[in-house]
Amino acid sequence: MSRKEASGKNGMKRRDFLKVLGVAGGTAAVAGSCSQPVEQIIPYVIPPENVIPGIPDFYATTCRECPSGCGLVVKNREGRAIKVEGNPKSPVNIGRTCAVGQASLQGLYNPDRVRSPLRYNDETQRLEPIGWELGEKIFAEKIDSLGSGRVVYLGGNLSGTYEKLVDRFLEPLGGRRYAYETFSYEPIRKANSIVFGRDEIPSYRIDEADYLLSFGADYLETWLSAVTNAVGYSKIRDVDHGKTGQIVHVEPRSSVTASNADTWIAAKPGTEQYLALGIANVMISRGLNRVSPGPLAKVVSNYGPEKVAAMTGVSADTVEKIARDFSGSKKSLAIGGGAASSGSNATETMVAVNILNYLAGNVGKTVDFSDPLSISYTAGFDDMKRLVEDMRSGRVDMLILDGVNPVFTLPGELDVADAMRQIPFTVSLSSFLDETSGCSHLVLPQSHFLESWGDYSPKKSVTGIVQPVMRPVFNTKSAGDILISVSKKTDALKNAFSEKKYYDYLRNAWKKEAEVLAPGQGFAKFWKNLLVEGSVVRKPAPVSVSLSPKVSSVSFRYPEFRGNGDFHLVAYPSYRFLDGRTANRPWLQELPEALTTSVWDSWLEIHPEAASRMGLEDGSYVKVDLPGGSFHVQVFVYEGIRPDTVAVALGQGHTSYGRYAKGRGVNPFAFLPAAADRLSGGFSLLSTKVNLSSTGKRDLLVRTQYTKTQGDRPVAQTVALDRIGHDGHAHHNGKHPDFYPEKKYSKYRWGMAIDLNKCTGCGACVTACAAENNIPFVGKKQMAKRREMNWIRIERFFEKNSDGSLDVRFLPMLCQQCGNAPCEPVCPVYATYHNHEGLNGMIYNRCVGTRYCANNCTYKVRRFNWYTYKLPEPLNWQLNPDVTVRTKGVMEKCTFCVQRINRGKDLAKDDGRLLRDGEVMTACEQACPSRAIVFGNLVDEKSRASVLSHDDRGYKVFEEINTKPAITYLKKVKRERV
Amino acid sequence: MSHHNLQNTPLTYARITEDVVRMVDKPSAKWWALFIPTVMLVGLGAMCFFYQVSEGLGVAGYRHPVFWGVYITDFVFWVGIAHSGTLISAILYLFRARFRMSIYRIAEAMTVFAVLTAGLFPIIHLGRPWNFLWLIPYPNSRELWINFKSPLVWDVFAVSTYLTVSSVFFIVGMIPDIAAIRDKVKEVPRKIIYSILSFGWKGSNREWLHYTRAYLYFAALATPLVLSVHSVVSWDFAMGNVPGWHTTIFPPYFVAGAIFSGLAMVITLTIPIRKIFHLEDYITLDNYDGMAKLIILTSGIVGYAYAAEFFMAWYSGSPYEWGQFVYRATGEYAFFYWTMVTCNCVVPIAFWWEKVRKNIKALFVISILINIGMWFERFNIIVISLSRDFDPGAWGVYKISLVEAGITVGSFAWFFMFFLLFVKTLPAVSIAEMKEILPVPNRSKGG
Repeated sequence: MSRKEASGKNGMKRRDFLKVLGVAGGTAAVAGSCSQPVEQIIPYVIPPENVIPGIPDFYATTCRECPSGCGLVVKNREGRAIKVEGNPKSPVNIGRTCAVGQASLQGLYNPDRVRSPLRYNDETQRLEPIGWELGEKIFAEKIDSLGSGRVVYLGGNLSGTYEKLVDRFLEPLGGRRYAYETFSYEPIRKANSIVFGRDEIPSYRIDEADYLLSFGADYLETWLSAVTNAVGYSKIRDVDHGKTGQIVHVEPRSSVTASNADTWIAAKPGTEQYLALGIANVMISRGLNRVSPGPLAKVVSNYGPEKVAAMTGVSADTVEKIARDFSGSKKSLAIGGGAASSGSNATETMVAVNILNYLAGNVGKTVDFSDPLSISYTAGFDDMKRLVEDMRSGRVDMLILDGVNPVFTLPGELDVADAMRQIPFTVSLSSFLDETSGCSHLVLPQSHFLESWGDYSPKKSVTGIVQPVMRPVFNTKSAGDILISVSKKTDALKNAFSEKKYYDYLRNAWKKEAEVLAPGQGFAKFWKNLLVEGSVVRKPAPVSVSLSPKVSSVSFRYPEFRGNGDFHLVAYPSYRFLDGRTANRPWLQELPEALTTSVWDSWLEIHPEAASRMGLEDGSYVKVDLPGGSFHVQVFVYEGIRPDTVAVALGQGHTSYGRYAKGRGVNPFAFLPAAADRLSGGFSLLSTKVNLSSTGKRDLLVRTQYTKTQGDRPVAQTVALDRIGHDGHAHHNGKHPDFYPEKKYSKYRWGMAIDLNKCTGCGACVTACAAENNIPFVGKKQMAKRREMNWIRIERFFEKNSDGSLDVRFLPMLCQQCGNAPCEPVCPVYATYHNHEGLNGMIYNRCVGTRYCANNCTYKVRRFNWYTYKLPEPLNWQLNPDVTVRTKGVMEKCTFCVQRINRGKDLAKDDGRLLRDGEVMTACEQACPSRAIVFGNLVDEKSRASVLSHDDRGYKVFEEINTKPAITYLKKVKRERV
Repeated sequence: MSHHNLQNTPLTYARITEDVVRMVDKPSAKWWALFIPTVMLVGLGAMCFFYQVSEGLGVAGYRHPVFWGVYITDFVFWVGIAHSGTLISAILYLFRARFRMSIYRIAEAMTVFAVLTAGLFPIIHLGRPWNFLWLIPYPNSRELWINFKSPLVWDVFAVSTYLTVSSVFFIVGMIPDIAAIRDKVKEVPRKIIYSILSFGWKGSNREWLHYTRAYLYFAALATPLVLSVHSVVSWDFAMGNVPGWHTTIFPPYFVAGAIFSGLAMVITLTIPIRKIFHLEDYITLDNYDGMAKLIILTSGIVGYAYAAEFFMAWYSGSPYEWGQFVYRATGEYAFFYWTMVTCNCVVPIAFWWEKVRKNIKALFVISILINIGMWFERFNIIVISLSRDFDPGAWGVYKISLVEAGITVGSFAWFFMFFLLFVKTLPAVSIAEMKEILPVPNRSKGG
């Protein structure tokens, strides 16, 4: 045992207000090479006020990873943000999050973040660190040397106080601001302006619909606001007395969204508009419309079902059936505008969708123009093209970049990198050196949104507050602070801001708001309340919308395609990486994509027919030839895609952007033409026909599941809607003859119900679990050896419906906390054991690593630490102090977040009561956007988990093995396909 | 060599003693040429092991869902090899089978060394091998105890008991022979060592009386171990619920397989020894004939077990069981499966012909093929079953890594290293028992 004074280097890095005095050295006197490096534990000597070690603080803020603006509650332990959860009070996400939101912590703690200001050194041709003082001075000097009207601010959808600050900053300079979002849904806006005279994107109330008809809108992945949509989806999927909503999805490929629909219709690419018009035609001709068609009768008159069938490849019967169901349901909703329907006729498609909504009387009900989304007001693709042209022709003297990456996300044909070279001075306020900021002359890194003050308004009715949940990890400043500080150093902007800090600017802006929202309350109270609640919700005034005469002028044309290849190329946004902005989060790279289960890479989806014609198998490399170049990619043979179509996800293929993003897969943006939708000018992702040629090379396409079907094993089960409750074998919980008496649980038996009718396979639970339980990521090489560590895996099976069509099933598989667990008796050292609350406990420090438990696990949900996985600083700051970090040689597994249960029980004990239902949520349940997972106490017969466990659809996986699982799955409901 | 002058004479008491003493003579260059590379390979295995300990088990080929692989295969293989040693030395002793006399010492040595080798693998395969002591019940201040329900704990007892009993049996059996060597050798250090190992044996009637009784009792004590140890090893699998493991046929199937592979290993080992040390008069073709007949029997039992497994999988109606066995024969590992069937069921058919049973070359080749087949049998049971159990969402294929191959090679070298030391230092052929089966001199006609 040695005890030594330490300089406290580790501690000082951790927290600058923490004074470190002593370091206790460990006794690592275990056998030489076997022992781990000594880890130093640094106690608080002078504890900061209001921080009680072990007691977390929770801060409400707003997620800024995508334009959805979900409300978050961030858990802070001893000064560090360790977990992101949805804010139940936010109307956007109602307490839920997606995987991207969960992974925002890995943006915060990313080791590749820019740690201080950087300046481009002409001699070394590298960006080199400088101080803030100098960095801001350079920026200020450049501003003063500018001519008027020659500065451009290129940011994302800012939509809040900061937007106003930027405008005030630019105004004296005559600068222009662009709110650039890669996916800006211009066809939706344009079509709304044509049909309803409103150039806006309304709120689509999926939660209120019982019949959802989607024309290529990937609403469960990226479309508008995926979490909001998933919450709505969950409501459609409620099964009540044999009744449930219905979803029909039209798309050339069975995307995650399409795979979760009741019916997936693969119309010819780009012909979705005709299908919609055909449905409208049937509605009018059969008198099914609820609203008088007016001029629409003439618009759709030409599209009888037979003609539409010929145009789209969808049978006339199907068109009729959809028309009847769509108009026959109480509240229907038609949506469109995703990548797959973004051809040159995207606006026409959306016009047709609007016509459907109009005829069904959905406008004002499920289509809510009173609450438009803020993404309605972003720059268009046309604007971006003009900007790039201005840049190239030297009409821009200064470009200020803020969190956007146009070099990566604008089509290669525009060659943004080249255009940027013509700009004399580019300053980036980005946190990362991505493809775009890497080309800038000065980088003034802004703080992560979890370190900054701000606000954001995703739609008219909601403004979320962004508040720092911890001190900045690196030497960074919030963007507002940078601009204010720089303005003070200039001549031109010296008096632009009276405030010294952005925080004051923000509060001043909200003071005005407070007078409107809470008159007479006093600002201090209002502000405090705002920080606690996380957002303000306004009630928007109702808007009456009428049909615009312009609709008659639309001519519905076939889409145009560039190139003359055999396959349509669908480049679609990834729900993990969006447009590529989250590709540097290892959790997301290692989150298996729902359909392929692929990790850390790109792939090309191709139909089995086409694949066998070309002699391709899973993992074969193909060369994809586009008019704008060619790329090589591995294929995934997928029956859920049209034989004339191939698809590739966006977001990978970074050439910089840090160690986790760089050099993985392909970036289709780089090869796509700058094709646009004819009417709206929006960027067209379905614009190209490509040729494929086999390269003859084949390698493992790294996935987490290599089987495609479940064969004869009833893992993921379904039940026909009209058979619910009629299947004789529905329940015999614990009715198996047993040698031993049944275990009795007195207070708690923790259990779970997972509704397969609601699970979309999105993987939010997987990432949430990794964040909560310190589960390491292992990288592609280890993933290729199937050494993934995630405690939850989403199993995916491609089954067949009775009519032969594809039936994609998802099933989250995690430890079943078996009542008769096969893992327990085989452990020679009692490292895994059954506790009195029904959990299969796991004592990491007792485990010797025989791995017998994992072999004997019927569900194969145990994970083994093949190595000691080290996180690079500061990613390890995110680790949850309540959960042991495991080392090599130890088995681990899900314990239903036992640390949360224990904390909940402790708090309940203080009140002298038992835990209430819903008081403790597991991380997976908490995240699940579609509310498929419900955790609770099975001893309490009234708990939601208990009630659901006795649902008519309930079953247990591999029940016949008599493991007595605590998880009941509710069968996915199959309704008659359209 | 001068000792060879007795070679062509018929076996006499003198010649037996002389031949055996000659074997423990100064090692030849040939012996060193075998011994040094063997020790180097042991070093290679040790290096692989230490690399694995310092890096983690990731350097082995394990991958989800196959958590056991080559190491447990090696463990079962070596335990199996051990068995026929005890069978030959103990059970056949009790049955008074005369063909065992010349080979039982070698078989017994093989048992001890094979158990020594096998015993390494449960430690090598641990995630945290430095904590292997936790598998042993010992009083400790933390009041931690082991789980007697776990077959792995049974394993610890079975293997340690087996090692103890077989070592004692081995050492006791050698006492009169070591005494004989002691009387012959002249160099001082060797004389002292053999004197200690012979426990002051004088060869008196009284000593012989006690000795033969003790030997009989040890034989009786070791006999049930032949059946029990491998039954316990088989429970490592049979007690699990993995399709392909969870079956009642395993204990007899494993014991038969163990004897089958052990006999093959005895043949593999004795043929070179017989040749190098010119023991043709001791280890006769009739001895091989007897062992080959036992191989036919055990091969038949093993073959029956293979067929019965398939039948039961089909008859059970369980998709998991049937899926597993179809997969064994047709899946990614089909090559391993059919290698096993060929080596264990088809090749031994040759032994139905006496000519083959008495052909040294054929015996050698077939015995090696059986060893290969039996290694694959264990590999198939362990790895293929784990690759595909219940949940198709978690199926995966295992690939052997270089580290595992290195440790396996090292384990063979470890075994042969002990064996080489044994043939050079201890009586590899039982002097006493060989003399027992000789006709008494001068008693026969015209002697």
